[in-house]
Amino acid sequence: MKQYRCVGSNVRKIDALGLATGQPVFTDDFCLKDMLHIKFIYSPHPHAIIEDIDSSEAEKMPGVKMVLSYKNTPQVLHTTAGQGWPEPSPYDTCMFNKKVRYIGDRVAAVVAESEEIALEALRQVKVTYNVLPAVFEAEEALKENAPVIHDEEGIQGVYDAKRNLVAHVEVRAGDIEKGFQESDVVVENTFETQFAQHCPIETHIAISYLDENGRIVIRTSTQVPFHVRRIVAQVLNVPVSRIRVIKPRIGGGFGSKQEIILEEVVAFVTMKTGLPARAIFSREEEFYASRTRHPMKVTVKIGAKKDGKLNAISMYTLSNTGAYGTHGLTVISNVGSKTLPLYNKAPNVEFVGDVVYTNLPVPGAYRGYGATQGYASLEQAMDMLAEKLGIDPVELRKINHIREGETSPIFKALGEGREGVTQYIQSCALEKLIELGAKEIGWLEKRGKQQKEGTKVRGIGMSIHMQGSGIPLVDMGAASIKLNEDGSVNVLYGGTDIGTGLDTAVAQIVGEVLGISPEKVIVYAADTDMTPFDKGAYASSGTFISGGAVYNAALKLRETLFEEARLSFGEIDSRDYTIENEKIVSPVSGKTISISELVYQTLYVRKHKQLMETASFVSETSPPPFAAHFVEIEVDKETGTVTPITYVAAVDCGRVVNPELTRGQIIGSIINGIGYALTEECKFSDKGKMVNPNFMDYRIPSSRDIPEIKVILVETHEPTGPLGVKSVAEININGPIPAIGNAIYDAIGVRLHSSAYTPEKVLKAIKGSI
Amino acid sequence: MHRLRGVKECLYPASAEEAARMLSEKGDSARIVGGGLHLSAFPNPQVSTLIFLTKAGLTYIRTDEQRVRIGALATITEFAENREAQSVLRGSVSRTCKCIASQLLRNQITFGGSVAQREPYSDVASILLALRAKVLLNDGFNDFEIEIEEFYKKDFRSILKKAVIKEVNFENFGSEFHFAMERFTRNATDISHLNVATLLKLEELRISDASIFVGSRPSSPYRFAELEEFLKGKELGDQTAKEAQEFAREKVEVEKDIRISKEYRKELVGVYVKRILLKTLSEVV
Amino acid sequence: MKAAFIINGKKEEFEIAPGDVLLDVLRNNGHNEVKGNCYMGTCGACTVLIDGVPKASCTTLAAQVAEAEITTITGIGSVLNPHPLQLAFVEKGAVQCGYCTPGAILTAYALLRKNPDPSEDDIKSALDGNLCRCTGYIQQIEAVKLAVKLLKEGGNR
Repeated sequence: MKQYRCVGSNVRKIDALGLATGQPVFTDDFCLKDMLHIKFIYSPHPHAIIEDIDSSEAEKMPGVKMVLSYKNTPQVLHTTAGQGWPEPSPYDTCMFNKKVRYIGDRVAAVVAESEEIALEALRQVKVTYNVLPAVFEAEEALKENAPVIHDEEGIQGVYDAKRNLVAHVEVRAGDIEKGFQESDVVVENTFETQFAQHCPIETHIAISYLDENGRIVIRTSTQVPFHVRRIVAQVLNVPVSRIRVIKPRIGGGFGSKQEIILEEVVAFVTMKTGLPARAIFSREEEFYASRTRHPMKVTVKIGAKKDGKLNAISMYTLSNTGAYGTHGLTVISNVGSKTLPLYNKAPNVEFVGDVVYTNLPVPGAYRGYGATQGYASLEQAMDMLAEKLGIDPVELRKINHIREGETSPIFKALGEGREGVTQYIQSCALEKLIELGAKEIGWLEKRGKQQKEGTKVRGIGMSIHMQGSGIPLVDMGAASIKLNEDGSVNVLYGGTDIGTGLDTAVAQIVGEVLGISPEKVIVYAADTDMTPFDKGAYASSGTFISGGAVYNAALKLRETLFEEARLSFGEIDSRDYTIENEKIVSPVSGKTISISELVYQTLYVRKHKQLMETASFVSETSPPPFAAHFVEIEVDKETGTVTPITYVAAVDCGRVVNPELTRGQIIGSIINGIGYALTEECKFSDKGKMVNPNFMDYRIPSSRDIPEIKVILVETHEPTGPLGVKSVAEININGPIPAIGNAIYDAIGVRLHSSAYTPEKVLKAIKGSI
Repeated sequence: MHRLRGVKECLYPASAEEAARMLSEKGDSARIVGGGLHLSAFPNPQVSTLIFLTKAGLTYIRTDEQRVRIGALATITEFAENREAQSVLRGSVSRTCKCIASQLLRNQITFGGSVAQREPYSDVASILLALRAKVLLNDGFNDFEIEIEEFYKKDFRSILKKAVIKEVNFENFGSEFHFAMERFTRNATDISHLNVATLLKLEELRISDASIFVGSRPSSPYRFAELEEFLKGKELGDQTAKEAQEFAREKVEVEKDIRISKEYRKELVGVYVKRILLKTLSEVV
Repeated sequence: MKAAFIINGKKEEFEIAPGDVLLDVLRNNGHNEVKGNCYMGTCGACTVLIDGVPKASCTTLAAQVAEAEITTITGIGSVLNPHPLQLAFVEKGAVQCGYCTPGAILTAYALLRKNPDPSEDDIKSALDGNLCRCTGYIQQIEAVKLAVKLLKEGGNR
């Protein structure tokens, strides 16, 4: 593999020092004169029609500007999902609805001169409800007499609203029944995952104001600035050109901010009043009024021959999408599309999925996006199969995983709301990942040994994964690069760095192609007026798609530079020019000219032009990154407490742009996954109210809750990715539930069928019942 | 934005006496402020006067031959890091305190505030009860001292409407005493969802006296008197530990809540009692 | 009511409501380097040093700490003159989204002042109130270890 000069090194994250010194770079670090504050009223009922809203008392209060509800806001059905147009999510909500569908659903909003006044005024708004029966279990919601949650006129994109069925997916290859009949051994595993919340440390926040020309500017903590612009325009019924969206530094997203939740409200207020408007979620609102992860029940059935070769895999998924269908179809599609191709050896494959409305807080996009829930079941079914076959779990994976040059019918069959795209794997280091990971954890020495110390017993487990890099033939990014007279460049691109370090990766890619130091790359991103389009930060597409656009623009600019140099040299052909030490070199004649001098010439002296290029990138492939996870845990047999001791993640993300930032993505997603596996659960009352919407009662890992983590990066060169890269953003969150589940089985011989693996649940499993 | 809406004035008395007099004068709408955590995290719009004890000289931690004295405004961190306090009961109380909640909260939570608030999950309450601590108060004129168990049996919230906690103190126990605590938390910085605090007095290996409190059950701590009686006179050892586990699990008074079940709490109490006894045994032999 | 605070060594006087918490007073008066909004003391993003002790400013009543010495992140270093801890966090990849970073660095700063040679467990214990959802803590811990080295080499700051 070719060695890179700039890509592959630990270039300092370009925004890190500003962040570490407390610079005012987040959305809320921006205060405008006469700013209005918005506070929401939420439904106390899981399902009800709003009979009336009496805001007269509230409106009389000094400092209260207006009270918003379905009565005075645009009734435009849309989706809140920040996805490419036409969005594969139902148009099933308005800014404010006349019906409320979960405890925490938006009823009305008070707009006032201060937060204090707004909060005071909230209590003066009187709402009368006609309470309807509610349903919380997905299975119940599908039944004949279940309450119909979405019965409004004009909703689009719902499979069968009368049955609360948002989406139904069925995909097959081969003959699944025959496949099971032909198999020597068949296992079935049903696994249920729970509601979880992203918990970005910065909650959702949006601020809007009119610029000097009366255009609406929205400054928001978002992953999807361009989708925000389009959907806000749709909801307010104004042209896209009237709106500008700016993404500042973001305090974490993880999928929760791939959503248009506050922006349409602040923009509406600004539009109506001419004044700046601000809406921010409290931590409690972040839990129940933003988005969560889809809880799912995934049943995996696998049939295999005696020699371990998989013959048939079927997956049935029931996904609870809460009160609104945002991301419902696409997340369930990923349950199958990002898991089944991993075991492409099985000629008979079936994926069936149902996405169901219930009267609960709304799931949306969350890192892993369905693959996490799919692997939770699949990778434990594989271990069950290994045991039944009498084959080591590591060996079973080795026999069956996809390899370079191979494909799977699932790639084409299962896209994201539309048909997918056939692809062949062109880079895959899974064999090496498995080998190195197994060695690092001590698989042969420790597996099955159940090493004891007092009342504690150890176990090790593993799981393997793939994900994707962007959505093929859907996700597009674009970039412009212009040259300055000192040889530096401005990169203007739509890519959305939400803390991941994408802006830095981009600087390195440009530095690599143009032969300049990344410190000479000035990045400005994600401003719908100033930068070209980008679909935004989701689907593990930053480095691959956004970086791909930047790469293409840099290549073009390099050609342009060579052409200018050729003219300057008076030569005929620039084909084998190179750049060395920021100088363009003609190898044949030995002539050189510095980039800086060229730009001085073209800006000021002769043949004046701005040397600048623009390019886009959309990919025909979504080359999967791969990972092999191994974990050693300790189970306290008397209390059921599970403690991860060592976690090994061997990862193939193509070429590594920045090793330390890559490592940060891997570790961060593993720790999040461990929380999801062991301690994170949204809890609900029997009326569907989320009762633990705070950090005291929803437990995310602290610095005292982490195992030792060993990251092993194995580079491959992906020919379809810029400079050989793939992606790393999501894949590693998929490991902890199955790897730890498999380790628990190794330790105590009992398999759990739902997450989180709380101590009480584990102890119950150990004892049969207490 | 998060303001205690009702608060109109802040007072800074120079002593606990002055504070108590202000409290009586202002009545129900006044609050003594310890670390301020509870007041600010769970604001009550009825509160209109805040009485800060920052100038009242109550941040001390003193250890002499008889007693360990902790001023009402001393924080959990200050106690855990106090050199002299670390030599009490082999440092077991300090070590337990070091694990409660998170560093930020330990830096803010005061002993006075903990005792006054007595959250049902309060580890500080369980610890002080097991240690048979005394609460020193002042009613605006005189100091008076109550055993903490007595304090909680009375209507202590009414007492605190007219009196201010100055300090908590407990015996500087000799080497025949052993303290241990076990807590169930979902992860490291969680509140307890079940805690067992014990103080055992040993003559050789024989338990001559026991003080055992079970808290966060989910209600506030109670004296597990039956277990104390069961253990008195028994010899520390594997057999006793096992029998005590059975007995404790059988007899303990716990309930369920949304986080963990009654059966699991019972199971935990049994396991924790066994572990405490075995740990104490290992300290002695 | 009027209240005076000593913020990063400078006396500043503000008009506050008696029931205000310190986080809001700071952010509303030119100190938006202090982040956070959980208002329960549970996320740690709002950490400041009060007389050198890390505390959650969202649960600290402003009126209680009038005249105390308050240190925010801008008090220990700047872009042009960063503290070794700030440099170490940058070097070790410990800054992803950066929202929890000022609070974490201040907590580490207080730790190193008290204990210039902490063990790994000491560091984990010190940081346990500063939640981070991006990094998974490991690079933050490595950054503190690097800062220990830098401070030993460069003299205390």
